[in-house]
Amino acid sequence: MILINCPYCGERDQSEFSNGGEAHVARPENSENLNDKDWGQYVFYRDNPKGIFYERWVHSHGCRKWFNAVRNTSTDEILAIYKLNENPPSKENFTNTLKTPSGEPKVGSGNFTVKK
Amino acid sequence: MSAADNKNSSYITDKEVSFKFDGKKYIGYKGDTIASALLRNNVRLVARSFKYHRPRGIYTCGIEEPNGIVQILNEHNEPNTRATVKQIYEGIRVSSQNRWPSLNLDIGSINNLLSPMFSAGFYYKTFMGPKGFWKRIYEPIIRRTAGLGKPPKEFRSKSIHQNHNVDIVIIGGGLSGLITARKLINTQYDVLLLEQDSFLGGILKNSKKIEKINNKEPNEWINETEKLIKDSKNIKILKNSLVTSYNFTNHLIALEDKSVGKKIDINKSELTLHKIRTTHTILANGHIERFISFRNNDLPGVMLAASFEKYIHRYGVVPETSPVIFTNNSTTASLLRSLIDLGHKPAAYVDSRNKDKIGRKLLNYLEKNNIPFYINAEVEGCDGNKKIKTISIKKSNKIIKVKSSMLCISGGINPDIHLFTQSKGLVKWDDKLVTFKPDVSFQNTITLGSVSGNYNYEKTVEEINNKLSFLKTKNIKLKIELNDISNFNIKELWETKHERKSNWSKSFIDLHNDVTTKDLKQAVREGFDRIEHLKRFTTNSMGTDQGKISSINSLGIVSKILKKKISEVGTTTYRPPYAPLSFSAIAGRNTYEFYDPQRKTPIHNWHIENKAVFEDVGQWKRPWYFKKFEMESMHLAVQRESEQTRKTAGILDGSTLGKIEIKGKDALEFMNLMYTNAFTKMKPMSSRYALMLGEDGMIKDDGIVCKFNDKHFIVTTTSGGAPKVLADMEEYLQTEWPHLQVYVNSITEQFSTFNISGPKSRDIVSKVFTDVDFSNENFPFMTFKVFDYMDTEVRVMRASFTGELGYEIYITPNKALELWKKIFHFGKAYDLVPYGTETMHLLRAEKGYVVIGQETDGTVTPLDLNFNWMIGKKKKDFIGKRSLTRSDTSRDDRKQLVGIVPIDKSEFIEEGQHVVECERLPKQIRTPVEYLGHVSSSYHSPNLNHCIAMAMIKGGNKLMGSKLFVSSTYGTKNIPVEVVSPVFIDPENKRLVS
Repeated sequence: MILINCPYCGERDQSEFSNGGEAHVARPENSENLNDKDWGQYVFYRDNPKGIFYERWVHSHGCRKWFNAVRNTSTDEILAIYKLNENPPSKENFTNTLKTPSGEPKVGSGNFTVKK
Repeated sequence: MSAADNKNSSYITDKEVSFKFDGKKYIGYKGDTIASALLRNNVRLVARSFKYHRPRGIYTCGIEEPNGIVQILNEHNEPNTRATVKQIYEGIRVSSQNRWPSLNLDIGSINNLLSPMFSAGFYYKTFMGPKGFWKRIYEPIIRRTAGLGKPPKEFRSKSIHQNHNVDIVIIGGGLSGLITARKLINTQYDVLLLEQDSFLGGILKNSKKIEKINNKEPNEWINETEKLIKDSKNIKILKNSLVTSYNFTNHLIALEDKSVGKKIDINKSELTLHKIRTTHTILANGHIERFISFRNNDLPGVMLAASFEKYIHRYGVVPETSPVIFTNNSTTASLLRSLIDLGHKPAAYVDSRNKDKIGRKLLNYLEKNNIPFYINAEVEGCDGNKKIKTISIKKSNKIIKVKSSMLCISGGINPDIHLFTQSKGLVKWDDKLVTFKPDVSFQNTITLGSVSGNYNYEKTVEEINNKLSFLKTKNIKLKIELNDISNFNIKELWETKHERKSNWSKSFIDLHNDVTTKDLKQAVREGFDRIEHLKRFTTNSMGTDQGKISSINSLGIVSKILKKKISEVGTTTYRPPYAPLSFSAIAGRNTYEFYDPQRKTPIHNWHIENKAVFEDVGQWKRPWYFKKFEMESMHLAVQRESEQTRKTAGILDGSTLGKIEIKGKDALEFMNLMYTNAFTKMKPMSSRYALMLGEDGMIKDDGIVCKFNDKHFIVTTTSGGAPKVLADMEEYLQTEWPHLQVYVNSITEQFSTFNISGPKSRDIVSKVFTDVDFSNENFPFMTFKVFDYMDTEVRVMRASFTGELGYEIYITPNKALELWKKIFHFGKAYDLVPYGTETMHLLRAEKGYVVIGQETDGTVTPLDLNFNWMIGKKKKDFIGKRSLTRSDTSRDDRKQLVGIVPIDKSEFIEEGQHVVECERLPKQIRTPVEYLGHVSSSYHSPNLNHCIAMAMIKGGNKLMGSKLFVSSTYGTKNIPVEVVSPVFIDPENKRLVS
């Protein structure tokens, strides 16, 4: 269980929060002009990278406020937290450390606890 | 040759405790575990093994025990308790497990003779066919024989959860843990010291390896240290607390047993689950000794050498005064010394190492004390009936037989890396220590002492000062004097060569799950050469002990078979929990009535008085139906309630309905975006049935929207959907449309709701609310009025979920019961009937109204339900609008809502059945039957006197009037049905609007 620093309430257990998936996917304003493929891209497609990921969280059992976080999905480290009206920190601020156990493949978990 | 007390031990108290094992009474001392007390009484046979029912004795002296698993008959009839951990108290009743009729004579041990059948993968290979045998024959038999203990009945254990937020956690109160704690006394750090045992000291208490610390006896030093820690302001000690998991962001779970060595007090909590957050974790949890595989290495009497030594010092019992010692490393020297110091003489000392490795000092000591010793030798096996009688020692191809009833073995020691690997730290193989030891930490984890692979106690202080130099503390100075000067050395040895004597002779690798070294070899031969596959195929190290004394051995054996290095074989994944923990500890207070809150309406007690049968709807308790008399069946009650409602009037307690108030400058714009309907032209003080979609165009929720004005709306939601709808509204307001000035608020529990409907409902409400004009002209369908009544504000809306003339009444909950009773007072003259959710569902189905979650399942668009009229097509945008014109959602062969009735009106259609095109059952036809759809709702209509049903059928709109078939669980044929409109009653809506 990770610890999340709600920008309104402070550090709380993960169990108080809900994850809202990828951040900065704006709802298209002119949906009537979009073709099926582009609209489908908005509705159904989300990134799922191994490493640095900009995502949304809501303090659902707390202040009920939404906010954004930058998380390293391979280590579960939360690298930055910022409010919705703040600019996202640039990806260059973070080194993309994929330091899950052992030899670290680009994809997959590398379920092998012995260092080679 | 039997057990003796160690009179020098400080744990021999004169406080005797009597207890029962398998019905027989024994005496132990206070502080004894079940295991130490049984050993004291010369009880060697304590259990039967899992698969072969072989006789087993106590093997270890702690959490790693694979054999001594017992059931505690008092308390909660707790099964699978480790005898080596559970302390006895006066009157405790213990029984052995997995045997019948008795431990001494166990019928199940026939499995041992049949063992060629039960080799690795036996279950996977054997119970394959014929078809149907698994469910009816194999599974019931296997279930009966599976498992060890009997599950407790009427279990009601109490446990609590406690949170900690600290700077440093020290796991283990042994030598390294105590030195670290001393270093941290009165520093700025908030420290928690966790010890699994009931006292501190670890290796200092368990052996005589350390002579003096700072010129003090170890016990004296421990007491001094404990007092210093207790007097400090920053360190808290938790004893009897076992860390079971090490999670991300230094989150630890520890389980504290609150009733060690005493009877459980049912009025107090038995267990505390500590949830710990820390900045740094210091692992000082030591090591675990491993065993060696040889012929019959499971016979009662075989015990790990360090455990034997622990029984002598920690519990004051010498399990056997003249055992044979078999080792491949230097740690057993202190056991030898302990025995000789007490005046006992080991029957033999067997060491697989050579002269140089053993060292002159130890050899001289053996010679001086006249102990028979064999170097460069191995134990080939041991024999005996339910306990060891003779031990066969093999030295340069000669077999020497030695008589003894116990054999102490040591195959080396493993750093207890379980928690370290749980924390995602990396381990590496150490050729010198012949084991895995921690390498790189993944979190803020520091390993100290033997868990880090440092087996040299003299260097502990240096290691601690080095590794903790980043902390703002002073270096600590301590002088540690050892009893043995020899440095740790070991000769790799996993299994000794033996001659197979009989079927009975086995060389085990996993004692708990009865896995033999032969099984490992067979598994590799059959292609399971990856360690993770091999583990699952053989069930090696998958018992409740998780292979704590044997998993590294199996890697050693497999690496030999595969001719690989052990580091190439790798380890299996270590997962939490470290040791079994009971479900009640995890559940904490969230049990029984505290598991989930129950929500009741203000009318709840009235419902009980009127014989309501309740149904759970989310957290709500809702009346399902009301029994008019005790024997009335649900069917009869529902038919009666439905008929009466259509005849005169019925009333439903709809207080559970979700209600959300929407206010603000931009409320109208917000509503237009959230719902499919158009609200701009809607008149104030009118209401409308509305739909909410997801962005994918699928129906998410429905409800009635009341518009007070452009800045104020109240919506209802489904009873279960209210939290989600409110959360969705919040999400869009915060993330997509922050420019809208709108406030949303849940008012579900601020208003009680009654739905009164039926042709006489107008007469009844007119008598209750005498000041209000309920005439059709002044109070038309889908409008509402707000007025003062009983010193509060009441809102009455003309709406209906039954198809009859109906009103929804909203009132503050503290006046609700009074009003409800008043309605019944005036309703009596009209035979007003209370009805529950089942009648509500029946009545709405007769009218063709859908229920979200019954007709819809997250794949249904409004178009599929012929709700085209509810979509504000002229609106530029609303959630899900664009998806309604996607190529997939605009297909005309999507499943669409239709009504179906059986052609033979006496037949009944079941909910959930498939709709197909053919009459015969699929069994009798060879080609697969095309599935057209399913029956979503079905009832017997008392008002039409036949079955009515709704179904979602592919291209249903085009099939109107055609004949189809519905599958059935009875009879031999599918039921012929006709596709009709889903509106069965009053399709012209005359009743609604009159």
